[in-house]
Amino acid sequence: MSTEASSTIARVLKPTILALIAIVAISSRLFSIIRFESVIHEFDPWFNYRTTQHLVKNGFYDFWNWFDEKSWYPLGRVVGGTVYPGIMVTSAIIHNVLHYFNFPVDIRNVCVFLAPMFSGLTSFSAYLLTKELKDSSAGLLAAAFLGVAPGYISRSVAGSYDNEGIAIFLLVFTFYLWIKAVKTGSAFFALWTALFYFYMVSAWGGYVFITNLVPLHAFALLLMGRFSNRLYVSYSTFYAVGTLLSMQIPFVGFQPTRTSEHMAALGVFGLLQLYAFAELIRGYVTPKQFKTLVKTGISAVAAIAVIGLTVLSYSGVIAPFTGRFYSLYDTGYAKIHIPIIASVSEHQPTAWTSFFFDLQMLIFLFPAGVYLCFRELKDEHVFVILYSVFASYFAGVMVRLMLTLTPIVCVAAAIAYSTLLDTYLERADHVLASNLKGPLTRSDETPAASGVTESKPKKSSGKSAAKAQELEAKAAASKGAVGYLSGERKRVPILNWDSRMMVIVQLTWFLFMFAWHCTYVTSGSYSSPSIVLASRQQDGSQMIIDDFREAYYWLRKNTHQDAKVMSWWDYGYQMAGMANVTTLVDNNTWNNTHIATVGKAMASSEEVAYDVLRRHDVDYVLVLFGGVIGYSGDDINKFLWMIRIAEGVYPTEVKESNFFTPRGEYKVDHEASSTMKNSIMYKMSYYRFAELYGGNAVDHVRGVRMPSEGPTLSVLEEAYTSEQWLARIYKVKNLDILGRDLKDATSFEKGRARKTSVIKRK
Amino acid sequence: MANIISRACVLIAALISLSLLGSLALVATVAEADNAALLEKKLDQLRVQARKNKGIIDMDSNTFEEVMAKPRDFPIVVLFTAISPEFQCVPCKNFDPEYRLVASGSIKKKADSQLFFGILDFKRGQATFQKFGMNSAPSALYFPATESIGSVPQFDRYDFGKYGFQAEEFANWLSARSGVHLSVRRPFDVLAFVLKLLFVLLSGTACYALYARAGKVVRSKYLWAGICLFTIFIMISGHMWNQIRRPPYSMPGQGFVAAGFQNQFGIESQLVAVMYAVLCGAVISLISSVTRIEDAPKQRISVWVWMLIFGFMYSILLQTFRLKNPGYPFRLLF
Repeated sequence: MSTEASSTIARVLKPTILALIAIVAISSRLFSIIRFESVIHEFDPWFNYRTTQHLVKNGFYDFWNWFDEKSWYPLGRVVGGTVYPGIMVTSAIIHNVLHYFNFPVDIRNVCVFLAPMFSGLTSFSAYLLTKELKDSSAGLLAAAFLGVAPGYISRSVAGSYDNEGIAIFLLVFTFYLWIKAVKTGSAFFALWTALFYFYMVSAWGGYVFITNLVPLHAFALLLMGRFSNRLYVSYSTFYAVGTLLSMQIPFVGFQPTRTSEHMAALGVFGLLQLYAFAELIRGYVTPKQFKTLVKTGISAVAAIAVIGLTVLSYSGVIAPFTGRFYSLYDTGYAKIHIPIIASVSEHQPTAWTSFFFDLQMLIFLFPAGVYLCFRELKDEHVFVILYSVFASYFAGVMVRLMLTLTPIVCVAAAIAYSTLLDTYLERADHVLASNLKGPLTRSDETPAASGVTESKPKKSSGKSAAKAQELEAKAAASKGAVGYLSGERKRVPILNWDSRMMVIVQLTWFLFMFAWHCTYVTSGSYSSPSIVLASRQQDGSQMIIDDFREAYYWLRKNTHQDAKVMSWWDYGYQMAGMANVTTLVDNNTWNNTHIATVGKAMASSEEVAYDVLRRHDVDYVLVLFGGVIGYSGDDINKFLWMIRIAEGVYPTEVKESNFFTPRGEYKVDHEASSTMKNSIMYKMSYYRFAELYGGNAVDHVRGVRMPSEGPTLSVLEEAYTSEQWLARIYKVKNLDILGRDLKDATSFEKGRARKTSVIKRK
Repeated sequence: MANIISRACVLIAALISLSLLGSLALVATVAEADNAALLEKKLDQLRVQARKNKGIIDMDSNTFEEVMAKPRDFPIVVLFTAISPEFQCVPCKNFDPEYRLVASGSIKKKADSQLFFGILDFKRGQATFQKFGMNSAPSALYFPATESIGSVPQFDRYDFGKYGFQAEEFANWLSARSGVHLSVRRPFDVLAFVLKLLFVLLSGTACYALYARAGKVVRSKYLWAGICLFTIFIMISGHMWNQIRRPPYSMPGQGFVAAGFQNQFGIESQLVAVMYAVLCGAVISLISSVTRIEDAPKQRISVWVWMLIFGFMYSILLQTFRLKNPGYPFRLLF
């Protein structure tokens, strides 16, 4: 086949393959929709969905100035100033464009399908990025890897309407533009880098990763003595424009000039200016004068910088390192100081199984790719190396940051894999020709034993073919056939067809396994919407457990318009989105004291809790109880975190140790401590639970037999319990009309006499 | 007159606290005058002792009982410790200076907000250790001011596992409970400062010398490649998890692999790192070292060997993963 013909085919094939990859990427994210329905998943997406609805309904300016009085009652929340608006604006624009062309798509469907659509774009940008690093065939592999890698799918399945869904596309594309800018030194590409950086800042808090990685790259190049005007132009443009743009997001505001996370970028910007200035000066003075100038200059700048930094940090102009920042570097910090961070499973460190689960074979191809980058080590490869090292550290510290590691793993693994394919598929004459392109005198060194001939690859070759081979190689060289990887050393082609077969067949098999693995993981682990649960019954048929939506819908239809519902913060966003009620705390977790107050109410006895409930105008309390169907993520299992967070703020009123048995166990059966049994969380969870089984109740989550007599409630009354008892809603009683203690009133209604001791005390 | 009022206040406070606690014990209304005098005397003694000994009151079983005896309207912290070398209590030794640091900061407080710091060594207070059923040291107990009667007074135990051995943490914990603001001011350690300064200077010089002499090595990309790859292998095999969770290195009788998907032993993650390194090494050799062998049979052998290692190692890796995740359906050679 001639070169022209193959390049024409390649020109057709590449877009086709990319389109197919995009289709695969999108369709492998649709499991949850096929199994359940087009529904928003989990917790945070419900908030994003609610704000998007607001944006579409009331327009951009109203959204920007929105004060949400339905959350964090009675404090409220300034939504416009505390969100990353990128994802909402993106879906609103898509929605409006579609409507302009008379496609009446519901905003919910736009939101549900946003992340899968962007995953197609992400694989395309992985292609572009890898193409800059190696070649387009590696690019295609990278696109395919990133399209199906579970590490990325975990946050971008259909319905997972979260910032990360579009942020990973922006991350990869911004990096592509940056590489392009450094390579070409064009202000045009640097400007586009800044614009996409702005989009990224508006979309996800993880933009800090770009803010630090790009300056780090520039700094490393500077240290390696690779300062160039290309670097100067691209970095200066990027930093100036990007920082100004990022400050337009109210949530970011003046942080780029103040917080330590952004200081590296500023420092490198200053350093580059000084370096460029020194380079300029060098041309006008004698070397000796230049040396003196540089020495005085460096010491002056260093002195000013040190003094300035100290003064500014002590006077508080520069904010100290924020908690999130600390939890990344000092891993012990979060555990002790911020229980709310420690309580979120996303902030846990990553075990090796998670790495393998999310990336399978890519995880060991990835270091090989990094090694290959070292072999070439152009400016852009330095970037890949830095990205790899830092992202793998961060991913190790926090499970959630697997997401930032996945793109570079796919890119590096694609480089390694495609180099392997190149080595074992490349025709022997090409390799020889590429060697011949060097000093021609070497041609006599071509190995005596021959490899594969061009037309008949399976023919086992004898020594007789050696001459023909040599001639062919020379001919190819004169034709100007170009080989890959022009390394300094002479390369020998793979000489035996069986070695080639061996490697290629196995590699292909590994690819198959990778694809199966990805589908298995996606379908099994990452496609559950978590607000609708599915379980198998004994006869194998599927049972859908829809208790959450059932309970939220009950709240929506049966409570008055501004009823206040208290629950643990995990369910705040869902309740606001689905039940349209006022919540006390939600997943935003900006006010730890307020959360601790809710935790205190849950952990205290009825009398104390009633006081807290009345003060916060609470009408209903919602708890999750999994004891009937064995749902392990229920409130009793989260209860220890509530206690810990409450103890952090109210150390005298809530004590963790009181909730344990004397032997230090966390028990809910008859051995439970009295504080545990008196807490309203315990009471609300197990209220009338024993009756359900006629006194022989077994908690299926904790696997323990419960006491035959369940707890009693006097300040709360059961309002609603969903079908599988997963969600239980209690109404807070009003004050007694006769002015009695609610406890007395309850026992009076039950026909019991008041306790005499109570009378005495009064 | 003022005396009567204050005494009445004490009585009322006692009543309120009793009714809050819900205990229906009888309220003693005896000989308050004696009590007040006793209290004054006790407080004076304690203050003198504390001032003499940098805020610390050394106790044995008898003095402990005396201090704890019924009229006690002041809070006190007692550190139960075993400082003598024969007990070999390392945490006791570690915590002792920290505790004394907090105590010494408290002397300057005004009389009405004073908090007393006692130390009870196991050698001198075995009876008290037994009374509190304590079988490990150190433990720091905080006894709030109380009027209640009982052989074992109410107390709060400082949780070393949760808060650690730092003076600052302990002071915070105490401040939260007693309402007395305690600040920790560490004395400036000149020796440590000088040592640090020397260390910085020395390492700076060493770096410079290294750069000047062995610049070629420092600038070698293979060195940096080694460092980077090593870091990556360590990180992707769950080293940070070990750093944070501190699992046992290995468990005798359980093999090298911990049960459970989100759990691992120290040795397990190291083994995984080695597996990754072998797999990665196989890939790199298949790319670069094989293409340097000019002899066809040798090259064939080399490719086959590396490919066998690759397949074999990958199978082991998959098998290890199946141990962690029994439902995992894929396998390679075995």
